[in-house]
Amino acid sequence: MTDRAIIQQVLAGDVEAFSRLVDRHYDRCARIAVRILGNREDAEEAIQDAFLRAFRALGSYEDREQFAAWLTRILVNQCRTILARVVRREAVFADIDIKDAELFARTDSTNEVWPDLDHALAQLPPEQREAIVLRYSEELTYEEMSRITGAGESALKMRVQRAFTRLRTLLKEVSSV
Amino acid sequence: MSDLEFERRIAAALRAPVPTSQRAKAAIMDRIRTAASDGVRSRPLTFPVGRTTRHSIIGLALAAGIGSITTLSGIESAARQTRDVGVVTSVVIGDSVVDRVRDTLRLVRLIFDDSAAQQVAVVGDFNGWRSEANVMRRDPQSGKWSATLALHDGEHRYAIMVDNTRWAGEPRARAGAANQGYAILHVGRATN
Repeated sequence: MTDRAIIQQVLAGDVEAFSRLVDRHYDRCARIAVRILGNREDAEEAIQDAFLRAFRALGSYEDREQFAAWLTRILVNQCRTILARVVRREAVFADIDIKDAELFARTDSTNEVWPDLDHALAQLPPEQREAIVLRYSEELTYEEMSRITGAGESALKMRVQRAFTRLRTLLKEVSSV
Repeated sequence: MSDLEFERRIAAALRAPVPTSQRAKAAIMDRIRTAASDGVRSRPLTFPVGRTTRHSIIGLALAAGIGSITTLSGIESAARQTRDVGVVTSVVIGDSVVDRVRDTLRLVRLIFDDSAAQQVAVVGDFNGWRSEANVMRRDPQSGKWSATLALHDGEHRYAIMVDNTRWAGEPRARAGAANQGYAILHVGRATN
């Protein structure tokens, strides 16, 4: 059954049909959110909020756009909201005791393939991290990325390039320790 | 490692699945079912009290439309306000009728009581948690702080920031911890 058919079922009143969309897209959303946010707790929150917002806005969803792309755009926005909140809190409480500050530390790696990569990703500016995740985690084209992020293709290419350069440096530093 | 090899390795690592749980998926559907059954209903929510001081917050949600044509109906006001220290109460007391406005915004007025505060702001996901975005004003007669927000229907996470240094509530709680570090305001049509 296509996403479109499931959406029609949900709009017709079959709320439980939405679980098929969750099953179908959850893993992909998790991959994006965890890589952008750097931890599973924030990622789960972003994913929940994204699905909920998608559900509430399902009536305005337009068929000409892939549901996956539409959902990804919502998810990326949720990730940005959470990142802004974390940054704001860290700024406000910059003078708190270091033990408390550790509450915000990204200490858990979620990447079993290359654990150091997550730590390196966390040190990238958010827009670079977002760009490189969308480009390589989801194999999106720059045109697709542009529709999702609202940024121009040139800017996205620049962000990915800069992210690569920075990652090379960071991961060399890790491997040389 | 060549650039190409490095790129391939980055791509492989980023494409690797992350562990997921059925519990997380079930939590999504729980929220979906709730939204489907009462997604536009406003309800009282608890708000954790700060460690060093106690605050009372009276949330008075005035549903109103914003747009070129606005009709405000059903303002019943104070009779349905409640006051309870440490508890956020959000009451939608009227609906708006707004034509030709795709996304209806509702005016939500928050009232906050802290006589010792010098500066109070509402921060939340609707303003990027920026303390300068929605500064509360103190009523010279009652001494209470208030701010009016224009919000879409749905759930909004927010907290009160006092003197730009502390949150009303538990400030350092991790994001995502239920009812910690922020309150949730449900905005929508009155259903009761």
